[in-house]
Amino acid sequence: MSSAGTKLEIQVAAEPQPKLRALLVEDNEVDAELMSRALRKEGFDVCIAVVQTAVEFRQRVKEESPDIILADYNLGDWRGVEAVEILHGESLDIPLIIVTGALGDVNAVECIKQGATDYVLKDGLARLPEAIRRALREKHERHLRHQVEEDLARKVDELARSNADLEQFAYIASHDLQEPLRMVAAYTQLLSERYTGKLDENADKFLGYASEGALRMQVLVKDLLAFSRVGRNCPPRDNIDCNAVMKEVLQSLASAIQESGAVVNCAELPTVWADHTQMTQVFQNLIGNAIKFREKAPPIVSIEVEKAEQHWLFSVKDNGIGIAPEYAENIFVAFQRLHARSEYPGNGIGLAIVKKIIEPYGGKIWVESQAGAGSTFKFTLPLRGANAPEGARP
Amino acid sequence: MSATEVDILLVDDSQEDVDLTLHALRTENLANRVFVARDGEEALEFLFCSGPYAHRSFDHPPKLVLLDLKLPKVDGMEVLERVKSDVRTRIVPVVLMTSSREERDLVRGYDLGVNSYLQKPVDFDEFRKMVKLLGLYWLVTNRPPLANGKSTTAKQGS
Amino acid sequence: MKSIPHLLVVDDNPADVILVREALAGSVHRSRIHSVEDGVEAMAFLNRKEKHANAIRPDLVILDLNLPKKAGLAVLAAMKAGPELRRIPVVIFSTSRLSEDIVRSYELGGNCYVNKPGNLDEFFSAMKAIEEFWFGTASLPRQGE
Repeated sequence: MSSAGTKLEIQVAAEPQPKLRALLVEDNEVDAELMSRALRKEGFDVCIAVVQTAVEFRQRVKEESPDIILADYNLGDWRGVEAVEILHGESLDIPLIIVTGALGDVNAVECIKQGATDYVLKDGLARLPEAIRRALREKHERHLRHQVEEDLARKVDELARSNADLEQFAYIASHDLQEPLRMVAAYTQLLSERYTGKLDENADKFLGYASEGALRMQVLVKDLLAFSRVGRNCPPRDNIDCNAVMKEVLQSLASAIQESGAVVNCAELPTVWADHTQMTQVFQNLIGNAIKFREKAPPIVSIEVEKAEQHWLFSVKDNGIGIAPEYAENIFVAFQRLHARSEYPGNGIGLAIVKKIIEPYGGKIWVESQAGAGSTFKFTLPLRGANAPEGARP
Repeated sequence: MSATEVDILLVDDSQEDVDLTLHALRTENLANRVFVARDGEEALEFLFCSGPYAHRSFDHPPKLVLLDLKLPKVDGMEVLERVKSDVRTRIVPVVLMTSSREERDLVRGYDLGVNSYLQKPVDFDEFRKMVKLLGLYWLVTNRPPLANGKSTTAKQGS
Repeated sequence: MKSIPHLLVVDDNPADVILVREALAGSVHRSRIHSVEDGVEAMAFLNRKEKHANAIRPDLVILDLNLPKKAGLAVLAAMKAGPELRRIPVVIFSTSRLSEDIVRSYELGGNCYVNKPGNLDEFFSAMKAIEEFWFGTASLPRQGE
């Protein structure tokens, strides 16, 4: 009793349905016929092929590309559910429904676990069409979702590459600009020193402007370099003792602290999962700013930390000039300055750098402040192991 | 004192010279992390991370070795030769500072790759001035090789 | 009795060579400053070849890294391989702050490494400090004519 690949093509004059290519894996002719009838009765415009052995199945499934596979559980020397293995082996995503005689619930669950899409009992063939429709629907949805994911992945990739290009450009440009700038700065200064008072008054002024401009450019390029460097390396993370970092930072700010008569109060700080150099930059910029943007009174700077469920919350509080709320976001943008150069020096890059360090760690940074009433800069750092991106960039 | 972070290794068996040197370095605030070895053997153990200094790492060498020539156990020239002929230690800046006025010591020192050779003045003030200048030059003007404690072996791949 | 010290500056940027001369002008050491623009010429000068047949042996070499024809590190390696040239102290004077460059310079026997400052005043101070140390503090082997 065998049928070696009987192919039946029957057009049904019922309501028009999309053509369904079905592959039946069945060693019993009668059962095969019953299934075909059940499908046609439901109005499927079905094109059916029947195979019996695993070898035939593998061959036909590749040749025919069926939309659905209906397989008997018991096929003599193999089981219908093994067809799922064959599908996986050929990387084919085709829904497979086990259509079988008595099958215990245990076996049914096993079939699904092994990858069958569904199972239907031979004495409940009425269920078959709905099972087929559902399987096809799920496959379609899966396909759509996969498409969307692929598109998204491609766009993310492009964006990352474009970002990387821009950063590389900023880095190379600022790096390569340093050398010619060094020449301009050195020689305008030399000219200025040698010839001030020796040419006419205008010349002195011109030389002065040129020299100043060159020096400012040098600082600007250095800042730009520092800013673009933050994105470039993904420094490996380590357990960083913030108290040690703070000690270094206070040492390097020693002369600013002394000049301003600043008092810096620092609470006991935790160990965080970060990079030493970057944490140094963060604290150096925040505390440096707290000292720089002061009122007439000597600056009082307090550094505190709180532990929340998923993160550390650091705060750097000062009694300085404060920031009007409408500028609270602006100050984190690169090169945005709120004050004239003559009032406070600097290029407005410090906070942008801090933000660029904190955010890839999965943290947030913001300021709470009022003009004339001091500022509190707060930032979070996820606890190690908490839901945070490992490493700064893809 | 943590023996890992050492800026200057001073190798001299003369207590007087050691005191003068430390004093001079202190006036320039350079004396924070000075380790004194009294003989060539101790200097070698320190630099080669062996014996009592086995806990030290080749990744954190001193920024400067101030080495006298006449030392007990192992003399300065041999210390210099050993340090400059081993790939793990050859990059450490070594400055010979000696009372010897022999031209051949000078020549041999530079032949062996000493970073610089200084002749100790007899006068105390001149001695102190020399130490100050050399401290400033080697620790401030100069860039020592492993400021970040990264080992050379890590670099060879690039 | 101190003879005039001779300094060889190896740098392809004439503007930097001028800055060196400006920095050391009027110094008590009255160094004679020679300069060459590339690594090949540096070796010719040091080995007294061709147009440099009568060149004087310098007492100190100030070496930039980024040189045409023969790179600074190659010049350094060649110098430290020769029996007489190896005794001449070499100061690497470079804008590079890369640790690879610094470590490699020491590995090849460079005596010290000084960053070329971007600021004029600091450039002058560094240059003066170099001259003062090598010609005023350290003892150098006699080079002879």
